[in-house]
Amino acid sequence: MTDSPSILVPLRVLEGESVPEGVPDLLATAHVVLLGYHVIPEQTATGQAQMQFEDRATERLDEYETMFEEAGATVERRLVFTHDGQKTIDRMTTEHDCLAALVPNATGPVEDVLVAVRGTVGVDRIARVVGGLFGETDASVTLYHVAESDETDEDVGTLLDGMVNRLEAQGLDASRIETRVERDQEAFDAIVDAADAFDVVVMGESDPSLATFVFGMPADQVADRFLGPVLVVQREPSEETE
Amino acid sequence: MAEQPVDVEPEGVNVAGEAPVEEPEAVTDDTTVHDDDVELERTIGLVGGLAIGIGTMIGAGIFVFPGLAAANAGLAATLSFAIGGLIALLVALPTSELATAMPRSGGGYYFISRGMGTAYGAIVGLGLWLGLMFASAFYLVGLGHYASAVFAELGVTLPFSPVIGIGLLFGAALTALSIGGTENTAKIQNVVVGILLVVLTGFLSYGVLDAVGVFGGGTVPEQFFSRGYFPVLTTAALVFTSYLGFAQVATVAGEIKQPGRNLPLAMVGSVLIVTVFYVVTIFVATSAFGAERLGQFGETAMVEVARDFLGLPGAVAILGAGLLATFSSANASILSASRAVYALSRDALLPRKASEVNLRYGTPHVALLAAGGPIFVLVATGRVELLAEVASFLHLIMYGLMCVALIVLRRRNPKWYAPSYRVPGYPVVPAVGALASFGLIAFMQPASIAIGVVVMFVSYLWYRYYAGNVTLKGDI
Repeated sequence: MTDSPSILVPLRVLEGESVPEGVPDLLATAHVVLLGYHVIPEQTATGQAQMQFEDRATERLDEYETMFEEAGATVERRLVFTHDGQKTIDRMTTEHDCLAALVPNATGPVEDVLVAVRGTVGVDRIARVVGGLFGETDASVTLYHVAESDETDEDVGTLLDGMVNRLEAQGLDASRIETRVERDQEAFDAIVDAADAFDVVVMGESDPSLATFVFGMPADQVADRFLGPVLVVQREPSEETE
Repeated sequence: MAEQPVDVEPEGVNVAGEAPVEEPEAVTDDTTVHDDDVELERTIGLVGGLAIGIGTMIGAGIFVFPGLAAANAGLAATLSFAIGGLIALLVALPTSELATAMPRSGGGYYFISRGMGTAYGAIVGLGLWLGLMFASAFYLVGLGHYASAVFAELGVTLPFSPVIGIGLLFGAALTALSIGGTENTAKIQNVVVGILLVVLTGFLSYGVLDAVGVFGGGTVPEQFFSRGYFPVLTTAALVFTSYLGFAQVATVAGEIKQPGRNLPLAMVGSVLIVTVFYVVTIFVATSAFGAERLGQFGETAMVEVARDFLGLPGAVAILGAGLLATFSSANASILSASRAVYALSRDALLPRKASEVNLRYGTPHVALLAAGGPIFVLVATGRVELLAEVASFLHLIMYGLMCVALIVLRRRNPKWYAPSYRVPGYPVVPAVGALASFGLIAFMQPASIAIGVVVMFVSYLWYRYYAGNVTLKGDI
């Protein structure tokens, strides 16, 4: 048995976002950090929204907490009123040392997991998430890598073998792990296309670059186009830039 | 700043049977924590705090007062602005200490109700709400003057003065925008303040160089105290409205990140920045025309100053800046007034209904209407100087009492009072701050003082009637 990974589940609890079907089972072996948050315009004091909405939000969170607990997870919860949802999510990730955040979408029983492996950075955290959540299940795990043009087959082999070793150390049987490598494709489109055949996607949070400022985080975009749940593995807290 | 416990227990119920909302358990750099798992996120940084302070203040001092002040005090109006800045600084320092000890929404009202009890709190809180309405009305009338000047510039002659009509129109637009608008208003405010500072710095640099003779213009030689010494003080009382913004930073103290560091920096910083701008502006303006002619130009005197230096483009730039500045000041004041209504209603001094949040827009429509509505009546009077002085009066009462509250808290030294910033020069600075705040009131017009006293008296009666049983004072 490996440590249960901390997974952040952010829900806009007052805007009708709820825990979709299949998500409690997906996170059955996790330590769930259940974040109910409500984004309010700047004209409104956060305490003002709290005064009016706290009871209703708490009621819903109670319900969700029970769902996760019944599935077997340990749950820690917070209700936050904020002007800036992203800041709240980032702070929660750091404060509760979450390995990944879940973009909650409905799913059936999980049989196939797609793990997008981008590079060596963060593989350890990805392995801990995959091992912690799917180690005890029968789900098959596919490691997916879109190679850059200057990457040789050996490079890719080393990267994916390293990942397989880490997963084995986490208790996954090698027979359940497949690898797939694509070339000559744009990474983002390739992942979205491949994801269709899977139940869950696990991917890293990409580094902010010019493109992400314009189009948003790739992980969010994948979540928008892939209709199942996406686990976004967060960067090491020390790598976070202030 | 480590987690800071909050240990104030409000008690009692008002006439409608509402009790004050429970106090939070702790305050951290990023949040205010209630019952362990409910948190209020802090999202305003130092830049945002400075923008609130400067944005609220700069509209009046530079774009409305120079002509009026010069007419009253002559060249010595420069000194009047410096006096105002000094008093503001003497109050901003103690306010910073109180704000770091109690970084909660409501600002001065919160400090005074917790430090000195509900009665003082009610007078200050209701006074703050009404004072901000007087201030907004003042900015809106100023805005009306600028908009009218635009018409004059375009050569459109109207058979009536459009000042009040435009003020009313913008008042309605602002209230509607704050209720229905979900745009990122804080970012817009930051940009507006940035633009204003750039335009003003350019304009004033040119003006100073011109005044000292670099461009051959030279100063109009003039006696400094051309109107005597007394008008310097009455003018200081009049223009003090230009310094009301720093306390608005404290009304959103509950939303400022790292409050221990950012609150003092934002409040003291914004006072220092605007004081420099004001003093230089008056110096440049009076040196361009002399106080006599400047006074004749009235509210939009700065447009004429800019025209004198830079011709039509200068006039247009200052017209635009004046519209932006008065608009942003009015907007900031309406938002602060709505925060004040919320703080009062949270403590059961106003009906809970008053801070209700609109389900469709997520904005506090009742509080915003309570702030925006009475402004119409005030704008309709069109009396710039009266509006400004009443606003100043009500704020000065609060400023003086904040200084007193600080002294009270320091002397009793309750366990929960642990400011991370401590005012230098205690007890001299808060004592002088209190005396100066109350003292400045004496130099106002009798009408302004009368209206101010009536507002305070009615506030007190309201407290006795509505919330006489409510105790808000901290355990001291």
